[in-house]
Amino acid sequence: MSENTEKTPERVLITKIGMDGHDRGSRIIAAFLRDAGMEVIYTPPWQAIDAVVNLAVQEDVEVIGVSSLATDHLIMPDLMKALKDAGQDHIEVIVGGIVPDQEHQMLLDAGVAKIFGPGAMREEIVDTVRDLAAVASKTKFESLGV
Amino acid sequence: MADSNKQTSVATDPVRQLADRVIAGDMPALARTISLIEAGHKAAQPVLRHLRANAGHALVVGFTGPPGAGKSTLINAYIAALRGQGKRVAVLAVDPSSPLTGGAVLGDRTRMGDHSLDGGVFIRSLSARGHLGGLSAEIHAVIDAVDAARWDVIVLETVGAGQSETEVAEIADRRVVISVPGLGDDVQAIKAGILEIADVLVVNKSDLPLAERTERQLRSMLALRGDADQRVPIVRTVATEASGMEKLMAAIDDGAVAGDEDARRARLIRRARRLIAAKAAQMVKAALDRAEGDLDEICGQLIDGDVSLEDAARHAQSVARTDTGTTGPR
Amino acid sequence: MADDLKQPFLPGLEQDIEKWQKSYDAQIAGDKVVRNRSGMEIKPLYTPKDWDSGNYIHDLGMPGQEPFTRGIYPTMHRGRTWTQRQLIGLGTPEDYNERVLKLLDAGASAISLLPCNSGFRGIDCDEAPLPLLGTCGTVVNNVDHMDRALNRVPLERISTAMNDPAPYTLLAFVLGVAKKRGVDWSMITGTSNQSDYISHFVANHMFYRLSLPGSRRMLVDHIAFCREKVPNWNPVSVVGQHMQQAGATPAETMGLTLSTAMQYADDCIAAGMDVDEVLRRFTFFFDISVSFFEEVAKFRAGRRIWTRLAKERLGAKDPKSWRFKFHGQTSGSDLTRQQPLNNIARVTTQAMAGIFSGLQSMHTDAYDEAIACPTEETARVAVATQNILREEAHLCDVIDPLGGSYYVESLTNQMEEEICAVMDKIEAAGGMYRAVEDGVVQTMLGDSALAAQEKIESGEEKLVGVNCYQVDDETIASPPPYRPDTAAMEQHVVEFRQFKQDRSQAEVKRALDQMARAANTDSANLFGEVVDAAMAGVTHGEIVACLRDELGFGHPLIVA
Repeated sequence: MSENTEKTPERVLITKIGMDGHDRGSRIIAAFLRDAGMEVIYTPPWQAIDAVVNLAVQEDVEVIGVSSLATDHLIMPDLMKALKDAGQDHIEVIVGGIVPDQEHQMLLDAGVAKIFGPGAMREEIVDTVRDLAAVASKTKFESLGV
Repeated sequence: MADSNKQTSVATDPVRQLADRVIAGDMPALARTISLIEAGHKAAQPVLRHLRANAGHALVVGFTGPPGAGKSTLINAYIAALRGQGKRVAVLAVDPSSPLTGGAVLGDRTRMGDHSLDGGVFIRSLSARGHLGGLSAEIHAVIDAVDAARWDVIVLETVGAGQSETEVAEIADRRVVISVPGLGDDVQAIKAGILEIADVLVVNKSDLPLAERTERQLRSMLALRGDADQRVPIVRTVATEASGMEKLMAAIDDGAVAGDEDARRARLIRRARRLIAAKAAQMVKAALDRAEGDLDEICGQLIDGDVSLEDAARHAQSVARTDTGTTGPR
Repeated sequence: MADDLKQPFLPGLEQDIEKWQKSYDAQIAGDKVVRNRSGMEIKPLYTPKDWDSGNYIHDLGMPGQEPFTRGIYPTMHRGRTWTQRQLIGLGTPEDYNERVLKLLDAGASAISLLPCNSGFRGIDCDEAPLPLLGTCGTVVNNVDHMDRALNRVPLERISTAMNDPAPYTLLAFVLGVAKKRGVDWSMITGTSNQSDYISHFVANHMFYRLSLPGSRRMLVDHIAFCREKVPNWNPVSVVGQHMQQAGATPAETMGLTLSTAMQYADDCIAAGMDVDEVLRRFTFFFDISVSFFEEVAKFRAGRRIWTRLAKERLGAKDPKSWRFKFHGQTSGSDLTRQQPLNNIARVTTQAMAGIFSGLQSMHTDAYDEAIACPTEETARVAVATQNILREEAHLCDVIDPLGGSYYVESLTNQMEEEICAVMDKIEAAGGMYRAVEDGVVQTMLGDSALAAQEKIESGEEKLVGVNCYQVDDETIASPPPYRPDTAAMEQHVVEFRQFKQDRSQAEVKRALDQMARAANTDSANLFGEVVDAAMAGVTHGEIVACLRDELGFGHPLIVA
């Protein structure tokens, strides 16, 4: 059977959990990723963790980018656990926004792949997402054993 | 193909396992299968072969309309109405992709957030994957896969750009076209072709003052096209208030032959025809891309006016037929 | 226009300018076009050619007189300094009270309360994730919480600003407290700082809870109720801050905000209210960015335009109703996480621009604003900044000191043109409400936001410490973030649950049923029911939930 010779776009979820609603940053990131050829599932803020997990499953995303500007990063470990419990820990997760230095390690320990601060540039973010998506994509297909 | 199936024990064959999980209603399995199809993964077709026997039961309802018409919000309300009847719903929300980068922002499902935790609702966002027509070549296969998972209704949402309305017409059992009062040129926003394929016309945001006029315009345009008997229903809705849903459901269900085996078969054949045609076109194109140099002469002849376009195309077809690339069954 | 007073008045000027231009061009190495945030080209020099002081009467006038360019009062800050209104919001009501009392002791005459994000979400503290409670605002869910938050704060003397959107439960709680304390509602002063639902819908999705039409109803009822029952309260604060923070240029911000104000005024007039009465209580809330002169021009132009709109478009007769009263907050979006102490310089610059713009009240950000809720120390520095500008730099001694500057007047005129262009666009789209429904405004904001980001990415827009003068981040520790005391917060939630159990369920049910009925009755004043419910012991979350059911939930249009 002929294989699709075109590259399959990366599938990335950009979302916000917790209680803050400022989404200017996440919209810009979504635009960056789209311009880099990726498929971005974009949600408004205030997503319940369960809903995010469900969405990740249905959309079979490879990377989840969580935007956190206030203190919502404090519940990232809950999201990471929910993903794991749903058998979705092949999904690479990044956090972008404002995370106090003192709380970085907590996120990394919970399994977050990378944290981007407000000064992060487009190229760096896009390249990181691309690399992470490649890893997740490989894992997700291989795990089928087909 | 059947032979290679026998070689592997059914119980441990991962392709079979995946297909079985999809048929059993396992959501992650369905989601992953759709990914396989979209990625053109070599396992996609084998999985689909197992799935197709189970397909054909769902009613495929196409929703199309210009941006701003409130399609996603309307679908959200429609889903709620269907769930109220105990029906299981799958939604395929298709958005255009950038012709330059191939990327897309897929945000339709955010309007359907009411159902984000409902196990009886499956929503998948798809991009047109660069197809200017608005639907990727894989959409038919995706629908087959979803269909095999025993959903009662499959909603296909598209913007209605380019040729996609006619594609939707081929795939969908019932075609719903949405318009909105006061969207620029009102009904001019709906291209002529759509009216011909619509099974149901919806005037959304019908609480707006111009709704009455929009409905009249639609009615007279339909009459001009021979629907003087008003066979095509026009339903008024206010999607944000979920009003008009009963009428919408009735209009969609009316005339839709969901039940019997013949209808199912007919539906599948219609889709299969489209699928085969799309695949054949894809194969010819791929072959011609590989045959580059071999076509130079015929191209020259066309430019010089020595050969007609039809003859040139026939020549190309025969070149494609002799192509030994990865065409033909495995 | 005073055309007859132009060029011939200064013979020789033209030649002098030419001479200067030649020397300038000869000496400058690589001059390039400089533009401000609104896209206007900024020249190296401004002369009488750019603005003729002969236009003084028309363009400027005197402070407190049409067109109010130089200020809305005759005395401005020399007569009465701007109100120092620092925004505070953190932890439990007790935490808030502690900070606020310190502020009042230090001489503040006005306070502002920022509720916890859970409040913005429309939920009570017993429904929100505990780790997030009180991290960005104070948890106030009923009258009792407000009473504790305002313990020992004399409501009849201190102006309070409440920062919640519809249905304005915080004000309802304040009124409940006033009743408890025997303070007449006519003594209550302050502002509903976030009453601008349109800005929430397009720029700050933080705040939407009710549908667009539901929010529209709530605002009109809120204004009508306050007019009658709380006459010294400002129920309207049109918020330009959200637009600017969402990416609108300063000119766009002012244009969109004034368009919004027009919409609200029109809605009030349509509801039968007297335009003069209504406008007298209109206030505005803006961000002040670090683009110093641009901000000054923006506000002066805005003030001038508003005078004209109020008088000519809305038909207000009383000059007091033409006043453009505004609160300015130094813009948090200009602050950086990298090298936070640099933010003190930024805030100072922004504050100066605010003072020169003639604002009525001001909040200065703490330097750690970009990272977390301010600590006591950083909050103190923010207040000191204002004090230094006033007491040491004597910035209050002269009214509108930048007035008459060729640059500032020329820029103010340009701003006016740009602002009016934006307003024309909105008018062509059917007015602000319609424009929001159709996504016109959202598109404008999205485009500007992306453009602004590109400028930072490309280095065209410089951010010290971010894309220039960077320092290895490892060497600079950011201050430890504020986190409320978990035990105290947990206790607060426990007590709240107890409160819900102990109150009269019959009273609560009656109030909610009444409110629901009122929501479906056009002639009822819905905000009045909210106040009623609050005093019957209904909680913030319960009030919001009921109104969401009746008025519909907001679905801001997302333009990708």
